[in-house]
Amino acid sequence: MLDIAFAKPTLPESGALVLPLTEDDLGGSLVAEWDRLLGGHVARGISAAEFKGRKGQSATLYAPGGGLSRLVLVGLGKRDALDATAAEAAGGAAVAALGKESLAAIDARALSNGGGAAMPADIALGAVLRAWRFDRYRTTEKPEDKPRLTGVKVLCEDPAAAKAEWASRRAVAEGVFLTRELVSEPANILNPPEFADRLRKLEKLGVEVEVFGQKDLEKLGFGSMLCVSQGSAQPPRMVVMRWNGSDQKKKDSKPIAFIGKGVTFDTGGISIKPAGGMEDMKWDMAGAGVVSGLMAALAGRKAKVDVVGLVGLVENMPSGTATRPGDVVTSYSGQTIEVINTDAEGRLVLADVLSYCKKRFDPAFMVNLATLTGAIIVALGNEHAGLFSNDDGLAQRIQDAGKAVGELAWRMPLGDAYDRQIRSDIADMKNVGGGRAGGSITAAQFIQRFVDGCPWAHLDIAGVAWSGKDSATVPKGATAWGVRLLDRMVADHHEGRAVAAQPAPEPAEEPAALVTGADSASPATLSEGTPASEPLVPTPDAVTRPAEAAAPVPRAPRRPATRRPRR
Amino acid sequence: MLKLRLAELPEGHAEGGAPLAVPVRPGAAVPDRFAAAAAAAGFNPAHFDSTRGEALRLDGALGGRTTWLVGVRPGPMGMEAAGALTAASLAGEEAPGGRRGVIDARGLPPADVAALAIGAGIRAHRLPHYGATPPPALRRLELLVEDVAANEPGIARARAVLRGAGLARDLAAEPANRLTPPLFVERLWELEEHGIEVVVHGRHWLERHGYGGLLAVGRGSAHPPRLVELRWPGHSGAPPVAFVGKGITFDTGGVSIKGAAGMEAMKADMAGAAACAGAILALALRDSPAPAVAVLAIAENMTGADSYRPGDVLRMGSGLTVEVVDTDAEGRLVLADALHHARGLGPSAILDLATLTGSIVSALGHHRAGLFGNDDALRDAVMAAGEAVGEPLWPMPIGAGHREVLASEIADLRHCLPPGGGGPGWAGKFLPDACHAAAFLRDFAAPEGAPAIPWAHLDIAGMDLREEGREAGPYPLPPGPSGYGVRLLDRLVEDRFEP
Repeated sequence: MLDIAFAKPTLPESGALVLPLTEDDLGGSLVAEWDRLLGGHVARGISAAEFKGRKGQSATLYAPGGGLSRLVLVGLGKRDALDATAAEAAGGAAVAALGKESLAAIDARALSNGGGAAMPADIALGAVLRAWRFDRYRTTEKPEDKPRLTGVKVLCEDPAAAKAEWASRRAVAEGVFLTRELVSEPANILNPPEFADRLRKLEKLGVEVEVFGQKDLEKLGFGSMLCVSQGSAQPPRMVVMRWNGSDQKKKDSKPIAFIGKGVTFDTGGISIKPAGGMEDMKWDMAGAGVVSGLMAALAGRKAKVDVVGLVGLVENMPSGTATRPGDVVTSYSGQTIEVINTDAEGRLVLADVLSYCKKRFDPAFMVNLATLTGAIIVALGNEHAGLFSNDDGLAQRIQDAGKAVGELAWRMPLGDAYDRQIRSDIADMKNVGGGRAGGSITAAQFIQRFVDGCPWAHLDIAGVAWSGKDSATVPKGATAWGVRLLDRMVADHHEGRAVAAQPAPEPAEEPAALVTGADSASPATLSEGTPASEPLVPTPDAVTRPAEAAAPVPRAPRRPATRRPRR
Repeated sequence: MLKLRLAELPEGHAEGGAPLAVPVRPGAAVPDRFAAAAAAAGFNPAHFDSTRGEALRLDGALGGRTTWLVGVRPGPMGMEAAGALTAASLAGEEAPGGRRGVIDARGLPPADVAALAIGAGIRAHRLPHYGATPPPALRRLELLVEDVAANEPGIARARAVLRGAGLARDLAAEPANRLTPPLFVERLWELEEHGIEVVVHGRHWLERHGYGGLLAVGRGSAHPPRLVELRWPGHSGAPPVAFVGKGITFDTGGVSIKGAAGMEAMKADMAGAAACAGAILALALRDSPAPAVAVLAIAENMTGADSYRPGDVLRMGSGLTVEVVDTDAEGRLVLADALHHARGLGPSAILDLATLTGSIVSALGHHRAGLFGNDDALRDAVMAAGEAVGEPLWPMPIGAGHREVLASEIADLRHCLPPGGGGPGWAGKFLPDACHAAAFLRDFAAPEGAPAIPWAHLDIAGMDLREEGREAGPYPLPPGPSGYGVRLLDRLVEDRFEP
């Protein structure tokens, strides 16, 4: 991470100076001050570069006077519209414009004039988020080609206050970087055991880490999750992370829970994917990556909240031991699943981890993240993640936090009619709905069958976990979408008070608007064409299924649990 | 068309010996007078659970008359579903004097009686059939009520809506050789008899006005395109609400031709235009005070020696230039010109309906249509109207990025992205085409700098057709067009545009 320092404004002796300016600052005292210090070059440069201070605009002046190598002007737009996101974007834009500079100072006063004391810390956050780079495997890159920026000094009126604001942001940035690193790692390095080993390092931050291996999961009866990993030479892991940061040590206060899908590589299994683009499946563990980074962020900033993070880590490979389409497995919850498509594996992992989380921790709510479906990209693209929830309040909190940090989520529908699409002829459910129609929704319905009435939200992040191009604060590649959003939601709503004191969770049913019209009556179909005068046979109620009534389903074959990964 | 009649007669005299249906509401017991017959048939009446929405046939309950107990399941659409189930049950009965039946609706409030009538009418509607033996359907239905006068307004309303929905379904069901653009227009001329003003613009008019999108799409076909206005004047004097419909009478995809599998369903690619026409008819038949106008962009998208090509640049009616990427994304081109035309009519709001993208089916399946737009109040009103009539929608986003990717190297914008054009890697294979289409349409429905008119775009692909074995809608219908949109628009006008 870049070294960040805060200082009173002075003319740096060397290096670069970044001057973020609102449209209202042009011709103002801030510009006049620098103009005086730099011998009149600033005003002339502004006019020569036709710099108007518009949002997203930037201009670089080389050797602008003093000992400076360059002066970067960054537009902030209108002063009235300044917010944290604008400050972060300015920090990011500044880093992007700094080229091969090694040291830079950013004058944050134009921001604090408009937006308050936290702005210098926001601009620093934007800078470090943008400057992150994953170059572990670039062994032949020439030193002169590497970015050289090592530190940024943020100039502001009250450095002490800014530094205090920075501490929590720094922790969040560390969390984001953990996520980005995990997501960027290739799958031959980051297999489930290695992933779990890395999470053990969170113990240093005070996170309790428990790792479950093959045998543990078999003993628990994780038939759904284990059927995904059984084709791989890499054994599965489930990692339970706990951060107990609340002051309340009352026994009855419930933790909040985050659950992540961690498929370290997804070939699709026997339902193998086409080759084009398959390399991206190394980031099919982004949900687990986000939960890991979130735990690091919350622990790093000593968040006053009791939170559990669970990740299900598996590799989905085709092999002689792999699960086949048509196989039936028994989940931890007891519900049976007909595996129609082995490439719909994420929901199989989440099913067991969610059931386990609910049963063991009885959390106030559960939020799961998963790169779950291509269909969510067809629905929304890559600006919004898909948000599914059985709780309007929780959904609203997620959407609001997302807006605040620039990680947007769009609510998608649930409903009985979609749920009926995953009925199976042989088991309690199948793992895909028929055809492509509503593919993200049927996936969410599948997951919802394992939350056991707990307030729950599912974030389908397939479209937002990885970016093909740079944005202001996120270099292309792993985005860590969700770490900042969920950290923000926790900070805004779940800290400093017992979770039990939260407004009572709303009933775990869909809001009326979600249900109306979607609960089509197939019973009418059943009755049509029934032989006349024959009493209608009551159809079995599909909702209350006898968990153990199904024919005994063979467990996944036992296999050595401790096979070490090849490293 | 099901003939609906209200009657106060005692049931024994109604419609001769026509079969009788008795709705059983949730929680209600089987009426005593049928319990004995049920027991005689070896059935314990206590086992009849109306909430399942099932029908039970009782023979000999009332003399020789066949009687059906029809369960009404709970929920807002329960009564309508019961009406549909009644129509389906009675359709199989061979009664003297043709297929007819009676519903004993005594004791039900007028809203429930109307819902029964609508459900029965929707279910009993006979789609065009060119074979020797059309499937059986109920022809006449009598509703026994306690007070005919109190129920008459609701039934009149039901008749209007049913005729509107029936028109939309008939048009969408017509094969494309029997509904070319000129033949479509001939069918629309018939609406004049209901006080609807019909204005038809042909190819020369379109050329004169530079409607390059509609002309390009229609160019490959032997049957030239048409732009049709259907005006219902109303009598409130307010500016009209405008419906804009995509009317591709057949969509081969053009040069970017579709795969053969399932292409026959493309005869219904004019379901949006048909729904708009049906809604106008419903408004006229019930003499709505609100003025309304439908703008229908009617063309056939064929492969031909003069078809438009990928890479072509079109100048649209609004003056914008558009680069064609995929000739199978033709709907948004004809809609763009129709939306521009609708803006010129000074409407209070614009709603367009189109079977536009496969993407919206991937997103929402067959249970909700996609709703885009630029006005929150209109969006909420459309959502509410859809829920009320069992034609639900879901709001979808138009993000900044959805418009950015439509930038073209050669024209003002392109109308879609090429397949796989979402960038490198796995995610690039998936395109949010429904959002892209909505972003494209916004440039024509709500151009920047022009006066803002509330606009909603309904992507109804996935909702326009019912298929065998696929659950959709609040209750089952025979395979074929659903008429989705007619009732929604009618309800929206009532809720929002009538004084």
